[in-house]
Amino acid sequence: MLVQYATAVAAVALVSLHLIMQGVIYPYATAISFNNILSVYRNGFYAVFLEALLVVVLVHGFNGVRIILKEFRQSKPWTMWVDAGTVLAIIVTVAYGTRTVILAVFGGTA
Amino acid sequence: MAVGEERAKNRRGIRGWLDPYHYNAERWAYLFQRVTGVAILLYVLGHLGDTSFFVGGPTGTGPSPSAWKFIGSIFENSFGHLILILVVLVVFFHGINGIRLILAEFGLILRKPSAIEYPYKPKGLGQGQKILIYVAIAVAVVAAVWAFLVLFEGMG
Repeated sequence: MLVQYATAVAAVALVSLHLIMQGVIYPYATAISFNNILSVYRNGFYAVFLEALLVVVLVHGFNGVRIILKEFRQSKPWTMWVDAGTVLAIIVTVAYGTRTVILAVFGGTA
Repeated sequence: MAVGEERAKNRRGIRGWLDPYHYNAERWAYLFQRVTGVAILLYVLGHLGDTSFFVGGPTGTGPSPSAWKFIGSIFENSFGHLILILVVLVVFFHGINGIRLILAEFGLILRKPSAIEYPYKPKGLGQGQKILIYVAIAVAVVAAVWAFLVLFEGMG
């Protein structure tokens, strides 16, 4: 549960900042405009922030599902498959999200 | 209660979540924490998909104004904004109720347990827990109203 609590506290901080960026610092229409998002990604601090948000939220979310599934049923094979599935889901989704961040930061505009 | 009956009761799965018999506020909060958690994860997965269109989608190679415009044409409308308002509502509830759960886990908002007496209310649950549940609901509603104003101000 320590992972769940640590990522929960981190997620509250990071999601709050994300929401503030989307609706307080800039008007929403500006926040989602292509040029603004590009400048956010290409600011080193925000790129690292978005990557941290991605990892924290996905670890928290999939670990939460793992906890729910383990409540439903307890057996060694079930636990093994649920743990393996959780790790795999985190790796795949974090990889896909990281690809977006890397391409947005380093990719050439189409 | 017979052992088999008790085991069956403990194996009700999601049906067990949704059985409101003898629920108190904390038990409802448990149910909503689970439901909102799964809903937020589904939203996050969808959000991963839609933000990837900033770089042209799954086969893209870099920032693409045309792909971003395309995905915006699908989600930037009243229905999409309604979904975002619901997301803000459940995220704020989930976050604040989650803080309550962490505080309870470390014993900060629990009373000392004592002997069970009629009317069999759980004495270990402090008033602080109920207050935090109501705070979570109130803040979530205020945040949803804020999201409504932010999202719909430019649509008229």
